[in-house]
Amino acid sequence: MKPQLNEQQLNELAKDLDAIRDEVMADVGERDAKYIRRIIRLHRTLEIGGRVMMPFGFIPPVFAAAVASLGIAKIIENMEIGHNVMHGQYDWMNDPSLHSQTYEWDTVCTGDSWRRTHNYEHHTYTNVIGKDRDYGYAVLRLSDDVKWNPLHLFQFANYLMLSVFFQWGVGLHELESERIRRREIKLSDKKAFLKDFFRKGGRQAFKDYVFFPLLTFPVFPVVLAGNVSANLIRNLWSSTVIFCGHFTEDAETFSEASIENESRGQWYLRQLTGSSNFTGSKWVHILSGHLSHQIEHHVFPDMPAHRYREIAPRVEAICHKYGLKYNTGSFGRQYWTVLKRIGQFSLPDRVRARLPAQVA
Amino acid sequence: MLSTMNTRAPLRWLGKQLFNREDPGAFFDPLLAALNPMWVRGYVPARLQDVVDEARDTRSFHLRPSPRWQGFEAGQHVNIIVEANGVRHHRTFTIASSPRQWERDGSITLTIKRLPGGRITNWMHDNLRGGEIVGVSEAFGEFDLPEAEIPLLYIAGGSGITPVLSHLATLANRDFRAPVTLLYYVRSQADVIGAETLYALAARWPALTLKIFKTEEDGDGALLNDRHLDAVPGIRARQVYLCGPKGLMDLAGNLLSQFGIRESQIQSTFFSAPSAVAADTPLGGEVTFGKSSKSVESGGDAPLLEIAEAAELKPAYGCRMGICHQCSCRKTSGTVVNRLTGKPSGPGEETIQLCISVPQGPVTVDL
Repeated sequence: MKPQLNEQQLNELAKDLDAIRDEVMADVGERDAKYIRRIIRLHRTLEIGGRVMMPFGFIPPVFAAAVASLGIAKIIENMEIGHNVMHGQYDWMNDPSLHSQTYEWDTVCTGDSWRRTHNYEHHTYTNVIGKDRDYGYAVLRLSDDVKWNPLHLFQFANYLMLSVFFQWGVGLHELESERIRRREIKLSDKKAFLKDFFRKGGRQAFKDYVFFPLLTFPVFPVVLAGNVSANLIRNLWSSTVIFCGHFTEDAETFSEASIENESRGQWYLRQLTGSSNFTGSKWVHILSGHLSHQIEHHVFPDMPAHRYREIAPRVEAICHKYGLKYNTGSFGRQYWTVLKRIGQFSLPDRVRARLPAQVA
Repeated sequence: MLSTMNTRAPLRWLGKQLFNREDPGAFFDPLLAALNPMWVRGYVPARLQDVVDEARDTRSFHLRPSPRWQGFEAGQHVNIIVEANGVRHHRTFTIASSPRQWERDGSITLTIKRLPGGRITNWMHDNLRGGEIVGVSEAFGEFDLPEAEIPLLYIAGGSGITPVLSHLATLANRDFRAPVTLLYYVRSQADVIGAETLYALAARWPALTLKIFKTEEDGDGALLNDRHLDAVPGIRARQVYLCGPKGLMDLAGNLLSQFGIRESQIQSTFFSAPSAVAADTPLGGEVTFGKSSKSVESGGDAPLLEIAEAAELKPAYGCRMGICHQCSCRKTSGTVVNRLTGKPSGPGEETIQLCISVPQGPVTVDL
């Protein structure tokens, strides 16, 4: 059942949320600059530490430490620095190395491609089936709006593959392979994209799988294995966090017709009900780039992310005021509902209808 | 290795692959800045040696840029990069000292007056002390010294004296023999910038005639007028340098043409920190697109994105409602009002979102 608010309530909702936004944005300054610089120093330290330890990885505990150090460095860079900087959360600092439109992150997907598909498409058309290609990444069926076909039976295996090779999947997202298969567009339309994809993908593979292993030639298998592991850790963690953001039980989806001439209030409502949070310690929030506060992130995508923790109680109160579900729970519980959703929607509707706990 | 990473091509290429950035040397800046801020690579750092009171509301900031800074010519400006409340600001100031001083001890002097309502000049006066680090750009500007030994006339007003100080010190060092006259207009004795330098130069360098007019203390006759110019010997043969507030420059331009001085004989410059527009300035204004060298008038609350599109430019854009930052680009000067918050920006160089930025007065963007 989709929440129904009348026009006056929607206007009030927009006003309440704008008030939080105005208050925080007026206060943004020194504290936020110090925060992100501290996180960047931590990233540089972990990355350097991981790279330096890696050649000594023939000693098992050193290998574990090096992989953890490099893996966490990549996670922090992708989630708390890259993703958030590219959203323009730190544009106000006027620091060219933290500028949303020129930042390039440590992953296969180019910054430009991400800015188009994520910042614009996903954040503008959040959970609108057919317009938000992040919904299931055109690989998974996660709502009724997509018609079932027998291939969906194997979507759990697809999901595992997507998680393991997540950075490559994200990198290829803009290729829109499903539209090429349906012959809506031609592969040659994507020439410019593919050129950038191979350049950036090549750069990432060169760094982790060629340059650093060769630099430490006698121990290259150790370094190669360590770098592969660090990338794998980052892939699994980031895909898990991202899946918990919109694919949990009760996260709403929308049709294209429903967003025509959408008001700011309706846009806010869609962001609130289409996203889901998970709880955790301070470090869980930092390592998830504060996507653990996906709801707050979707209402205020360009607010410095560490502020989400502080405003969350007020956003939750607003949800309750208008009778909206504030979708949150422990990391384990939220992830379990994601797995259930992937599993249940792999089944034909007739079978799914007979399952005991029905997913919306 | 860090110092060569930005200069040597193969190393630079490798740095780009490893660090995913155009300025790979700056990858380590966050750590280096914590160890020693003079080691950063992202901009040229300069250490403030000391700050001294120069005149009313005016201080001289003595800086030592890092050795990789490339120097300057007399009369040139630099952009100073300071960080106030987490925000990086760029402001242009003229170097008041001579290139010789920099060659001798590696220092330059910026003489900066508090601008009424100016956020950064006031912040610099209130917060910058000896030992702090700021960034400096390479020098720029074409207020050049004369190539030949010809008679000169300088007309300066207020803080417009700064490039003239650099010129005069340089000419005196060269032992310039042709006559040089300076007409310097200030409000009162307390406003004379570089007084010590000027009196010392006049005492030891016979070519210089120094005339300081204090408009508030000496009455109406102290405002620039034809008698002042009449008193300059051989004025028609002089090369003229103008630097001061707009009113003074306009007046000087008119008077000089009456004296039969051609425009090709006159060089003028005025660089001080631009001040923010008054809050009641109407929205709209002339928008200049720097990269495409186009300029259009805008009116009302049209945002820059629409203005650019109407001018047949095709800037990147996304949501058109201020959330996705696809259209963020550099504003190089002017004030814009944020449509969502209603707040005006500062006047300097910064990043703005085209789709929600409405010009308030003339604006230049990097499109």
